[in-house]
Amino acid sequence: MALATATQDSAAKGDSRAGKYLTFVLGKEEFAIQVLRVREIMGVQQITQVPQTPDYVKGVINLRGKVIPVVDLRVKFGMPEQEYSARTCIIVVQIEEGGAGMLTGVVVDEVSEVLNMQASEIEDTPEFGRGVATPYLLGMAKVKGKVKILLDINKVMNAREIHGLAGALA
Amino acid sequence: MAKMPGQFNELARDPELINDFIIEAGEHLSNVELQLLALDQDGANAEALHAIFRGFHTIKGLAGFLGLDPIQEVAHEIETVLDLARNGSLQITPPHIDVILAGKDYLDRSLAALKEMLETGAAPALGENEALLASIRASAKEPRLEEAVPAALSALAATQEPAQAERPAEAQAIKVDTQKLDFLVDMVGEMVIAQSLVEHDPELGLAGKPRLTRNLAQLARITAEVQRTAMSMRMIPIRQLFRKMSRLVRDLARKTGKQVELELFGEETELDRGIVENLADPLMHMVRNSIDHGIETAAERARAGKDAMARVTLRAAHQAGFILIEVSDDGRGLDAQKILKKAREKGLVEDDAELSESQIHNLIFSPGFSTAERITSVSGRGVGMDVVKKQILKLRGKIEIHSRPGQGATFYLKLPLTLAIIDGLLVGVGGEHYVLPVFAVREMFKPTEGAISTVENRHEMVLVRGSLLPVVRLHRKFGVPPKSEKLWESLLIVTEAEGKRFCLAVDELIGKQEVVIKSLGESLRNVRGVAGGAILGDGRVGLILDPDALFGKAAA
Repeated sequence: MALATATQDSAAKGDSRAGKYLTFVLGKEEFAIQVLRVREIMGVQQITQVPQTPDYVKGVINLRGKVIPVVDLRVKFGMPEQEYSARTCIIVVQIEEGGAGMLTGVVVDEVSEVLNMQASEIEDTPEFGRGVATPYLLGMAKVKGKVKILLDINKVMNAREIHGLAGALA
Repeated sequence: MAKMPGQFNELARDPELINDFIIEAGEHLSNVELQLLALDQDGANAEALHAIFRGFHTIKGLAGFLGLDPIQEVAHEIETVLDLARNGSLQITPPHIDVILAGKDYLDRSLAALKEMLETGAAPALGENEALLASIRASAKEPRLEEAVPAALSALAATQEPAQAERPAEAQAIKVDTQKLDFLVDMVGEMVIAQSLVEHDPELGLAGKPRLTRNLAQLARITAEVQRTAMSMRMIPIRQLFRKMSRLVRDLARKTGKQVELELFGEETELDRGIVENLADPLMHMVRNSIDHGIETAAERARAGKDAMARVTLRAAHQAGFILIEVSDDGRGLDAQKILKKAREKGLVEDDAELSESQIHNLIFSPGFSTAERITSVSGRGVGMDVVKKQILKLRGKIEIHSRPGQGATFYLKLPLTLAIIDGLLVGVGGEHYVLPVFAVREMFKPTEGAISTVENRHEMVLVRGSLLPVVRLHRKFGVPPKSEKLWESLLIVTEAEGKRFCLAVDELIGKQEVVIKSLGESLRNVRGVAGGAILGDGRVGLILDPDALFGKAAA
């Protein structure tokens, strides 16, 4: 019975979650964020460190004359840091904070593709047990036999600490 | 007679129309004020009279169209007075000017109320205009001065042409959103950097390619020209600001019963919009100070053998990348003894301190040197000259005062041309580059080992020209690994923050560059010691240092 409710739930919620997603790789997992949030994708460029900021804030970059902060998603998720390579990308996303739109760069290992996700492909995030809060996960999508983790990038950026996610997903 | 908002007609509910009205009427009003002051100087100035008439006439028409009755009524009554003056049946005298200025002020307030309505949606509070209307009507009935008629008539005929010639000039300017302008300037800055990146790209192999070299040089020239033009679009003449002072001087002169004449020089001098806006308050305060404290009454002036008409002069000029502004009066000058006495009372100066004349004069800028003793309705409202100085410093400017007893005092202001760009020293710490504003830098040197001493084994001090200055190591503040931990291998920059000096230790000096100041964004706004970011010549972002926050009270 409980299962049935969950499925109905997911079907109802699935409508709003369906749509186009940009998928990217972080370690061994594949993540996805809504394409509507993405402004552009660029290769890694020189990042200027900013003092007195959390370790996941890598610094600031020059986005065609605008100075925007850059966050390393690996560090934000508590994964081991990795040397940047030619595949490393910065995804520039639009974050809503306090009503104002703000551009932020997100460092990921590799950008994969844009996928159109059907509501039927999206499931709710499974319970990871006590102590693992996952408010920034929109859900899971199974596409061609692979699981993609749907992120609410807004909540990821606004959450103070997201350590332990890597452990939970491993 | 002031109508309730509910009675405004349909058009008045269209925010776009109202906004257009506010802008257009506002422009007419500021021009009207200017012309009124000209008319005040010369009652027979028919050109000014026409300009004022046209201004009120247009406002009346627009207000009528929008159903803003209180505004229309006032504009109409003023127009009537002006019309009488135009056809020579009324001679404009200072009382007329006063009434018209009062009407103009009412319209200003009404525009402000309308603006508030647009922003907050609240019903506009267009003030009561009954009394004003009556006074305007009364002024129209002042005795006619028949002898003025021929003069006014002939002047009228003479000025028909220039009045028409003014029209096309207005159409040559368009209004642009300042945000768009800032964006343009940003993008042009980027273009300059991109252009220089391409030009210096080793892969081009310019040797033996004269055509490519020539074309690149051409591109560089065009880019530089575009940048210069884009920058100049943010510049506006100081005229508007100076003319605001005309009004202030007139009002103050009438209030204090002193005879004062304002002279303006260099009104066409251009500077950044942001500076002009922030200069209004300090300038107003200085002018007020001059008239209230500096200028004597007509009787005193006569006794001193001076012209009864006192003179306040505003002067603006460009000089070597700066703008110089002078506010001078020919009044009694500063009383050095009185200032010194008061500074001693306030404990600002040691009793036995020997001060030069100019040091004493500059005491009036010290915080706590209040003008409370001489409070009048004009100045001494708790805003001291120290606030003026603070505001000027905030604009990265300097202020000085010079005074000669019995002959008057002059304030000298030196300001940068723009707030958007600063001259920076590019310094390196480890692999990072920072921009230190040049205005804060006094000198720089490599210390010898012997010049460095420590206090309590923690605080480092260095001896510079006989005085001990504290050392702030930038790499420790910012947690960046330096090239060398040894202080005598790094560069010390003597920096001034909040009037105090300290030595900033960095690895090396990389160069000097003009940079466009940019915000680091909302999330990184509160990083201590960093005033913003700038795009450097290689396309990277360099952090601009804030000396006040690195040292000074804020860092304690």
